Amino acid sequence: MDFDAIVVGSGISGGWVAKELCERGLKTLVIERGRHVNHRTDYMDFSAPWEVPNRGKVPEAEVAEHYAVQSQCYAFNSATKQWWVRDSEHPYSTPPGRPYSWIRGYHLGGRSITWGRQTYRMSDYDFAANALDGNGVDWPIRYADISPWYDRVERFAGISGANEGLAQLPDGQFMPPMALNCLETEFKKKIEQDFPTRRVTSGRCAHLTEPTAEQLALGRGSCQMRHTCERGCGYGAYFSSLSATLPAARNTGNLTVVTDAIVERLDYDPAKRRISGVRVIDANTKQGRSYQARVVFMCASTIGTAQILLASQSEYFPEGLANRSGAVGRYLMDHLVGIGASGTHPGFTDRYYYGRRPTGFYLPRYINLTETAGVDFQRGFGFQGYSGRATWDRAEHEAGVGAELKQRLRAPGPWGMQLIGFGEMLPRANNRVTLHGTQKDRWGIPLAHIDCSHGDNERRLADRANRDAVQMLLSAGFENVAPLGELKPPGHSVHEMGTARMGRDPATSVLNAHNQAHDVQNLFITDGSCMTSSGTVNPSLTYMALSARAANHAADRLASGEI
Amino acid sequence: MSDSSKHNLNRRALLLGAVLLVGGGAALTRIARSPGAFLGRARAFNAEQFALLEQVCEVIIPTTDTPGAITAGVPAFMRQMLEEWGSDESRAEIVSVLETLEKLAWSKFGAGFLELIPERRLQVVSGLDAERVARHDPAYGKFKQLVLLGYYQSEIGATHELRYELVPGAWRANLPLSEVGRASAV
Repeated sequence: MDFDAIVVGSGISGGWVAKELCERGLKTLVIERGRHVNHRTDYMDFSAPWEVPNRGKVPEAEVAEHYAVQSQCYAFNSATKQWWVRDSEHPYSTPPGRPYSWIRGYHLGGRSITWGRQTYRMSDYDFAANALDGNGVDWPIRYADISPWYDRVERFAGISGANEGLAQLPDGQFMPPMALNCLETEFKKKIEQDFPTRRVTSGRCAHLTEPTAEQLALGRGSCQMRHTCERGCGYGAYFSSLSATLPAARNTGNLTVVTDAIVERLDYDPAKRRISGVRVIDANTKQGRSYQARVVFMCASTIGTAQILLASQSEYFPEGLANRSGAVGRYLMDHLVGIGASGTHPGFTDRYYYGRRPTGFYLPRYINLTETAGVDFQRGFGFQGYSGRATWDRAEHEAGVGAELKQRLRAPGPWGMQLIGFGEMLPRANNRVTLHGTQKDRWGIPLAHIDCSHGDNERRLADRANRDAVQMLLSAGFENVAPLGELKPPGHSVHEMGTARMGRDPATSVLNAHNQAHDVQNLFITDGSCMTSSGTVNPSLTYMALSARAANHAADRLASGEI
Repeated sequence: MSDSSKHNLNRRALLLGAVLLVGGGAALTRIARSPGAFLGRARAFNAEQFALLEQVCEVIIPTTDTPGAITAGVPAFMRQMLEEWGSDESRAEIVSVLETLEKLAWSKFGAGFLELIPERRLQVVSGLDAERVARHDPAYGKFKQLVLLGYYQSEIGATHELRYELVPGAWRANLPLSEVGRASAV
């Protein structure tokens, strides 16, 4: 054996698995399909606005030719361009009239560099949701199973936030929260008055506000309130694979990383009923090679992992590796976005703030929990909120030029607020990833074909989120209140999940309660594909906790000889 | 030379510039796809257009107790943006705004924009600004956005006119505006 363990992918999940396995003394290989990236020196975070290429704008012709999908992400700009794939080089297909935005980057650290850093625990309302309303299959775990692992990953990653004592948004191991500004404080007061079971709290985020000795020793420091996070952070102030998990893994002496290595398929040995090899193609030379290990973790992202499993067909697994259930590739979900509302506030003209806070506030789910009257859909939504005073760019839409304009823009503009809804999407078999029948990429790998769309439940939920957001802003004294817009096509929240779901029954799910494949005992999957339902909260913290939990389970079973 | 023939000449020069810009665009885009090819790209503005652009920018953001658009390098920034960032369509839109301003100068005051006294330049620009902002004209929006971006995200605009710290170091959530002073540039 070359290694004790192989981890495919170096993003949030892969980084966590590598750290835990290495710390358990296992010789671990991380295989990353993208290029190597150096923490700090490859970031553009110390460039002032006037030093950033074209002041952040990516050339229009380049966007049209290479980044038509990736540029839909709010974090895409000339200072972050290196973190996104060229759509022209990494195609996928969708059916006519059913767009899906697959937003991603191929490099060491994956999307842990560009993620939104919002970190919330799922609750038993989420883990029991499928069992309760009959959509999808039951999660094989409950909150009590994952709670200690949330503790563990929060302590290491560093999460800033406030404990609230809410059943639907469990408390955690938090560093001091980032304070609400004056308008948010007022909004919180009004909302909690007018809607007694709704709560407004500081956005919980993976930023250090009071670093521990362990974090300082890894070279991480406190958040400097620059809010250029998506460029990468030289202070290591937010959690990423590059700032946190991979350095910790490297410190054990047990980590090997290969980059530019695209996993083509996993080989299955039917006699031993195990994965016998991981076949990769060198991204540059296109030469093939293979690695062996006692256990394999797939952390290649929801669509990437499904693609590899489906491509790993064999006599024993004609529908794709570990796919006796037929669930691989199915039940694709993504949080509903594009919903919510915005408004301006006439007050607080003499108040302001200093610094660029990299989070906002959170208004957790209440619908179908504490408020059920007149609800015509299942599941729920939460809101991430942001507020601040308008900057100079408001002038594009306001008449005025000359000395008057200059004088006006010298002062901050009116206060504004956005309530950005994140809604739950139901798991449905027809929302699925398959392999394209004929088209292949430049490495000869069949393209992912993504067929995913929203149903009536999603549309009704989105309507209600829009109405509630408008109503809350109006009740809190806002003006110019309007819904943010239409429900965006799936993929836009970059929370894709569900294509290799956990479950109790091998006939209907891919993974067991420890993210181990029902069908292949030395195969674990801990990226978003393992999710049995989507919940309403941002999923990355749950991927971290499940990854750490599964890695330790695998280490235990390897030690006892059961794997 | 009569005013009207000068007008025609200027108009012709501007239009010629626009034609070259659009006509050459397709070939240039093809060349630009190979690394380093931007070096060979035609300039976004001819000399007359650039002279006009400079003065229009300075009308929109004049020198007051702080430097104006020209000192902050806004016209050069816009030229660079139209050479490195803008599509052929964007370049044509920006040039069309300049053309319109030149035409308005002639129709309102019977002289080219550059011949006008400052008050009349301001009248021409603010008249077009009010009308185009009211009807959300995308070409004008793009033009104004570039002027604003060029100024307020320049070092002068961000640090002299407004306030900018590369590393704020702290989040202070609730302060009197008077204590902070000017608007933050970011």
